[in-house]
Amino acid sequence: MSETILQAQGLTKDYLMGAQTLRVLHHVTLSVARGEFLCVLGPSGSGKSTLLHLLGLLDRPTEGSVIFEGQDAFAKPKRWRDRMRNEAIGFVFQFYYLMPDLSVLENTLLPAMIRTPAMAWPLARRKHRERALQVLLDLGLSDRVHHLPQELSGGERQRAALARALVHAPRLLFADEPTGNLDTATGAEIMRVLARLNQRGGLTVVMVTHDERVAGQADRILRLRDGRLLHGA
Amino acid sequence: MQSEWLAWPWLIPAIVGGGLVALALLAVVLRTPVYKHIICLKYLFCGWKAVVPLISALPAALGVFLLILVFAIMDGFVAETREMTRGTLADIIIDAHMEGLPYYDDFARRIENLEGVQAATPIIQTFGVIRVKPQFAAIKPIVRHCVLLGIRPSEKAEMGRFREYLQRQRGIGYPPADLLNVPDYMRSARGTVYTGCIAGVGVIGTPLPRPVSEVVQAGAEWRVLLWFMTGLAVVIGLFVWQAGRRHRGRRLWRLAPLAWAGAVLALALEALLIPVVPVRTQRMQVIDFPLINYGGDLVISTIPVRESGALEVEAGGIPKVSSRVLTLVDTFKSGYWEADSLHLYVDFAMAQQMAGMEAQPASDGRPAVGARASQIQVKIKNPAWGAAMVGLIQEAWQAFTRDRPEVGPLHLTINTWETQQRMILTVVEVERNITALMLGMMFLGFGILIALISYVMAYIKSRDVGILKAVGAHDAGVGSLFLGYGFIIGLIGTAIGLVAALLMLHYLDPIELWVNSTLGIEVFPREMYYFDHIPRHLSVPWCVGVSMAVLVLSTLASMAGGLLAALKQPVEALRYE
Repeated sequence: MSETILQAQGLTKDYLMGAQTLRVLHHVTLSVARGEFLCVLGPSGSGKSTLLHLLGLLDRPTEGSVIFEGQDAFAKPKRWRDRMRNEAIGFVFQFYYLMPDLSVLENTLLPAMIRTPAMAWPLARRKHRERALQVLLDLGLSDRVHHLPQELSGGERQRAALARALVHAPRLLFADEPTGNLDTATGAEIMRVLARLNQRGGLTVVMVTHDERVAGQADRILRLRDGRLLHGA
Repeated sequence: MQSEWLAWPWLIPAIVGGGLVALALLAVVLRTPVYKHIICLKYLFCGWKAVVPLISALPAALGVFLLILVFAIMDGFVAETREMTRGTLADIIIDAHMEGLPYYDDFARRIENLEGVQAATPIIQTFGVIRVKPQFAAIKPIVRHCVLLGIRPSEKAEMGRFREYLQRQRGIGYPPADLLNVPDYMRSARGTVYTGCIAGVGVIGTPLPRPVSEVVQAGAEWRVLLWFMTGLAVVIGLFVWQAGRRHRGRRLWRLAPLAWAGAVLALALEALLIPVVPVRTQRMQVIDFPLINYGGDLVISTIPVRESGALEVEAGGIPKVSSRVLTLVDTFKSGYWEADSLHLYVDFAMAQQMAGMEAQPASDGRPAVGARASQIQVKIKNPAWGAAMVGLIQEAWQAFTRDRPEVGPLHLTINTWETQQRMILTVVEVERNITALMLGMMFLGFGILIALISYVMAYIKSRDVGILKAVGAHDAGVGSLFLGYGFIIGLIGTAIGLVAALLMLHYLDPIELWVNSTLGIEVFPREMYYFDHIPRHLSVPWCVGVSMAVLVLSTLASMAGGLLAALKQPVEALRYE
């Protein structure tokens, strides 16, 4: 196995529910190797999305640490985590989370727009646009670039979301139930794309799902139940 | 008057400072990530729902419009009142009251030698009663009190705008020294010729509403209306175009070129079909109808007051009345009511005798008394130096009394014309400021509206906030997106309000005439005011200040949405679907 890209050590997450504290993750420890396709499988409410958010630096754990490429992410400033999400990490969500006011192309350009100052955009736009169009072409959306998300089918939306997650050539892709809102055929198509990216492009993929069949595409499966990993990493 | 703001002492530093702040802001804006600008503009101009924030710009537009328009008109009243007052008086007035100032010529010359002084002239001022036999036999003689002012015409003509206010001799190249002379054509028709006088129009007249011919620019009101319609067509066109982009199937976008074509057509119509032409019209205006003609006579009576303050008396202790018959050679109309209704200008020496201020030889054991003057009026080279010049003149007076101890202890009041007339000016200025303050309160409502809209916007767009943060946007960056949103609403409101106010001010007279003739509403009854037009004075610093205030307020108010967005956790924002 190659080097470790991501490590979670004793990840615990509590939520305050009124006066009570609800622990949704209990000291989860795992590691992800570079180029691996890891799937976290668990039923609804098992804490898999929470785990993904912590691993993806979207949320801060109550206890424990996340080591991303050798750096303790939560010991670093928040700006560093924002930068990692913008440059090194990609996200695909169950509900696509495309910005409704932006076209497919603009949604795909979003990571580039976030890191490019306005004064540099006129010069940088062409390069980013070419890259975005290439990714959209690869995902079969070349005829949908100027459409708004609501004009797309579910599969197209998820592919558009995937294009946004891939446009900046991330080193790690997180997928949260990427097929959960799609029919079987479209879901299978998305999974084929993820598998292709992992196998041909060497992209590290961490996916959470409740679907055993979807999880079957992964190199390795971790089972999560009631916030606890059933098998060690 | 329009160029007064150029003399504003802080203008250049303010322009430089404002420019630097604008450049700094531009640099900050250009250094920020481009997504904020793109998404902010999408929120503002994308789809029909964008109408809501743009409608919220209307209170700002209304506020800016009213504040600039009302302030410009009230400031016009203030400026014209100030101009009239200043034009009637002089830059600085040295008042010796009824005690009188001896050696006034010496002191006037000394003042003229001061750096910054252009001219100085002594004035006699006393109170009197005039009797006028109207030219119409049916009207009884009128008797009125007045302020008798003794002037040296050639010197007084240098002060203020005295000569411009003369009704007959204005614009005629008579030597200033002849302003009080009775011209030959008045002499020829009569046997006895008396000394000339100039009376305020109200002194020898009676107010009478009368139709007055006026030239207005007809068609301008339609031109303004078309401009507004054109602006509206452009905005509608933008919305239709944006909405069409979002609903391709409906082919709504085809309407956008139509809307824009309509806007262009409106502009063409404006240029081709609605020419602005000068039209002569008649409007009711109050005038002081003269009860005597030029060359007519009036009688002025005063009671001379001696240096000691004692009245001159005749045998039996009856106050001695000094009366003269005068010939009216001109009338005076400044628009400054107090002057126009009370002032009667006569020759200096004659007024001096009537006031009891002429030189008195020694008699009955009393020492000789030198001639005196009530005032010295001073014209200075730069009106802005008024306060400093008052100080210099006070020093000059102290030096004068040291050099001429025979002047004796005398209380002089040395004021600028503004201080002298502060009661009138302050009232108008306070009215203007209170109106501005009340209109400014509108902005509080606008601020609350922007705060609510930006908060609701940030709440509605919670998912977008979560997406942006998931893709790496910083908290502050996402928050500032909503600040920009509020700023642009303020900018749109300011631009609309500013353009509307400037157009309105430019075409105020024809619009007023149109309202008057079409709706029958008398906006500015001429019978009520001395002005023959609605006065206006556009203050550039005020326009800039109002605009900046709206921009700052809208930006600050939108912090409500900005804070909500900045503090929103991405996980929390993405959790709900």
